[in-house]
Amino acid sequence: MKDLESQLRAALRPAAPREAFTKTLLAQISLTRQPRTTLRRTAWLTASLAATLLLAVGARQHVQDLRNRESGLEARRQVIEALRMTSQKLDLAYEAVKNQSASETPGA
Amino acid sequence: MSNAEEPAFLDAQLKKARLGDRAALAVLVRAHQHSVYSLALRMLGTRELAEDLAQDVFMQLNAKIASIESSQHLAFWLRKVTSHRAIDQLRQRSRLQTAPLEEEALSLSVVDGGDPLLHRHLSNLLSQLTPPARAVVLLRYQEDLDPVDIARTLDMPINTVKSHLKRSLDMLRSNTPGTDLTQRTGDSL
Repeated sequence: MKDLESQLRAALRPAAPREAFTKTLLAQISLTRQPRTTLRRTAWLTASLAATLLLAVGARQHVQDLRNRESGLEARRQVIEALRMTSQKLDLAYEAVKNQSASETPGA
Repeated sequence: MSNAEEPAFLDAQLKKARLGDRAALAVLVRAHQHSVYSLALRMLGTRELAEDLAQDVFMQLNAKIASIESSQHLAFWLRKVTSHRAIDQLRQRSRLQTAPLEEEALSLSVVDGGDPLLHRHLSNLLSQLTPPARAVVLLRYQEDLDPVDIARTLDMPINTVKSHLKRSLDMLRSNTPGTDLTQRTGDSL
């Protein structure tokens, strides 16, 4: 007779469950939701992506606003400069006309 | 070792299962169901209870799969959860008044030669051991774990494992006609 431990190993060889058990178990697993940890990770990932996207859009908008404001200020500066130059020219013309009128009027 | 039992293959399936791949999880279930089911059946004694326990263990695995690091860790985790749950059930059930093993539990291994009557006799004797001692013997001779791994699996001091093994083998030997009573029980410890 073989020794007891060999007999025990032979007697305790792992056995298969019924195929119906395996099928039911796999069906149940497939019906369950994804593990919470995976869901949580997915939710975190989605939230992070959304936050990053929002930040990127906000930053771009801010830069665009700054550029618009700068070009507005530049346009305003140019208009003021143009008005100033026009005003100077008008003053000169006015002075010239005034001087000429004074020289043409006898007894003035 | 078949392809489905190779650690590299199981590690690859585990990675997929952790990402939510149901087919990969099914491969892992099929690879380990023999071990979990047999452990549960030999601990609890009836097919119905064993199937319920095995189902609970695999459903828990589905929920915890993200925390499993490798195929080795998976095998360890499954044995640990199955053993602990079975011991708890037996303790709650009847304070050691265990039900006699069903026919299926007795005849699980009547394949591949050996002495069927002796195997039935040994399986029956196993059901008379205390739940922790039975778990120790099953992990040693069904799962082929050494005492150190059994101690880790059952959260038990190594000397307690060795003591359970020695006493259980002595009991089995003294109740089994034809076994060599002079053999040292400590040889395999």
